[in-house]
Amino acid sequence: MPKTVVPIGPQHPLLKEPLSFLLTVEGERVVDSSLRLGYVYRGIERLCQDRNYTQNLHLFERVCGICSYVHTLVYCQGVEALLGLQVPLRAQYLRVLMCELERIHSHLLWLGVLAENMGLTTIFMYAWRERETVLDIMEELSGGRVTHAANVIGGVRLNPKVDQTTFDQIAARLRGMVAQVEEFQDMVLNERTLQARTQGVGLLSAEQIRRYCVVGPTARASGVDVDLRRDAPYAAYDRLNVRVITHQAGDVWARTLVRVQEVLVSMQVCQQVLSEMPAGPLTVKVPRRVPTGEVVSRAEAPRGELIYYLRSDGSDKPARVHIRTPTLPSLATMGEQLRNINTADVSAVLSGVDLCIACADR
Amino acid sequence: MSELIRSLVAWLIFPGFGFLFVCALTVEWIDRKLLARFQGRVGPPWYQPLADWIKLMGKEDILPVGASEWVCAALPIVSLAASLTAVLYIPVAGHTVSAFEGDLIVVLFLLSVPTLAYFLAGWASVGVYSLLGGNRSLLQYLAYEVPFLTALSSPAILSGSWSISQIVEWQMRTIWGALVLPVGFGIGVIGLIGKLKRTPFDIPKAKSEIVAGPLTEFSGRKLALWRLAIGVQTVVGIFLLVNLFLGGSRLSIVLPVAPVFALKSLLMVLLLSTISALYARLRIDQLSDLGWRVLAPLALAQIAVTVWIAP
Repeated sequence: MPKTVVPIGPQHPLLKEPLSFLLTVEGERVVDSSLRLGYVYRGIERLCQDRNYTQNLHLFERVCGICSYVHTLVYCQGVEALLGLQVPLRAQYLRVLMCELERIHSHLLWLGVLAENMGLTTIFMYAWRERETVLDIMEELSGGRVTHAANVIGGVRLNPKVDQTTFDQIAARLRGMVAQVEEFQDMVLNERTLQARTQGVGLLSAEQIRRYCVVGPTARASGVDVDLRRDAPYAAYDRLNVRVITHQAGDVWARTLVRVQEVLVSMQVCQQVLSEMPAGPLTVKVPRRVPTGEVVSRAEAPRGELIYYLRSDGSDKPARVHIRTPTLPSLATMGEQLRNINTADVSAVLSGVDLCIACADR
Repeated sequence: MSELIRSLVAWLIFPGFGFLFVCALTVEWIDRKLLARFQGRVGPPWYQPLADWIKLMGKEDILPVGASEWVCAALPIVSLAASLTAVLYIPVAGHTVSAFEGDLIVVLFLLSVPTLAYFLAGWASVGVYSLLGGNRSLLQYLAYEVPFLTALSSPAILSGSWSISQIVEWQMRTIWGALVLPVGFGIGVIGLIGKLKRTPFDIPKAKSEIVAGPLTEFSGRKLALWRLAIGVQTVVGIFLLVNLFLGGSRLSIVLPVAPVFALKSLLMVLLLSTISALYARLRIDQLSDLGWRVLAPLALAQIAVTVWIAP
């Protein structure tokens, strides 16, 4: 059968961000694929060297739109480590709250995108409607729905009118969301057309996960039990109960189930944070100069382990910042996942790993 | 002379082109509105399909290098013509333009023409996505058409006539076809969803996989005509199923003809929209599986039962 090259991207209804896959297709089977990144490359790692540490907060928040908060969190934790600062407890709890809210909205966004790519537009609409609640909460806390400017070096910067009543209202709104998210879980477990499209698709064994250093829900769906919130706690995670969800199947269906159940876990963590919120200051005084040194800072972004390497040479601008986003190893597995599959499964595979191209390109 | 005028009115106004044009736009609006409400959205205003169509007619009409201009221009017209010819034999609110013994078979054949035109559109408008979509549409056609034709034959066997008007007359005398032949009705609806390429069988035009399938490279006036052809095909398919299984235009108590027919057609639209909102898109091999392993045996079983109970 003749081979045709089907381009997925840079513009394609499947992709939310530009990416170029060239799939070699024989009839209805994909035999090979090649990947090209860089369409959203903004040179952030170079740009940050011309800006001081505070200006870089603004820059790193915009590496990604969906996981913007955790990028600033990792950066701030790195700089705080270089400075030897201890962030106040209340600020740490608020950082956890924002991180978990971001995880919820990122996973709901992803669920909608997966459903839309499977032709189940109804779930896309429902998931994104639930997401609005979370975005409204984030706007109330920080003033922004997508980029929050809520982290500063030494603490958090939140809406000063927020008090315990606001936290109680937020807790109530999150409790109101639980029913719908449990329906999503029910749907993943029982809806046959979704299962027909996602089960057995995009299989990755635990061995492949380890070989490609895949992290996050994609790894946990193949039975690899890694979660930075439990393994290397940061912010206030060492005081909170985080249940790590793993599944053994290793296909797109398992990844869907892991993410939906992680939303439920995140909501429980938020409830715990909101009820245990300590009083105290939000920031700590920051010295003017960052001493020479290098640090590796990491956190569990919605897509997995996010790593920042920071090197300071004693000036007010960072000497080097290197970002390893969790999408990069997932993209590395694409070659294997896209080999010898149905053309129709391409949308499931690409949706399953929760690509964040802006993160991958920086 | 009055014969000619009557024919022209039938072909151009009712139940011909004008009526079907309005029906196609109405059905598209109801479908989009229902889908929107199911999804928690507001949905478009009533004039949206008309506005979309007018806008498309005014847009730039280009095709890729290597695509055959006249074939691509002719295909939607052929598709439209086939559906319009089919409606001549289908009773619309009791009025049939013409009828003869065996017109059911002619109608089913004519309703296959748009599917083939759709497939040719993929081939004639060269483009990677179009070719993939064209191949899929042909595979899909093979999967649903056999059970569809078989299921639609069951009311004919039951009523003893292969003319749609006679089948409707028979249902008026006895009972709705769907109540006696539920399996046939179910397979008819599933087959219609496959023919109209609606979710869960919108595989040839799977937006997230092959952009727009065979119609990817169409734009402007050709695309407007294609959308009209698809809309008219939807309406004609619905009319066909209403006549074969839902008793056409009469209930067992005497009621005005036109509203009853309209109500039944609306029920069909509701059914189709609900199914579209509920399910994800199947893969083509899963559809082939479903068609040959489940639907075809069920349709044959339905035929066997029908032959056994036919008077």
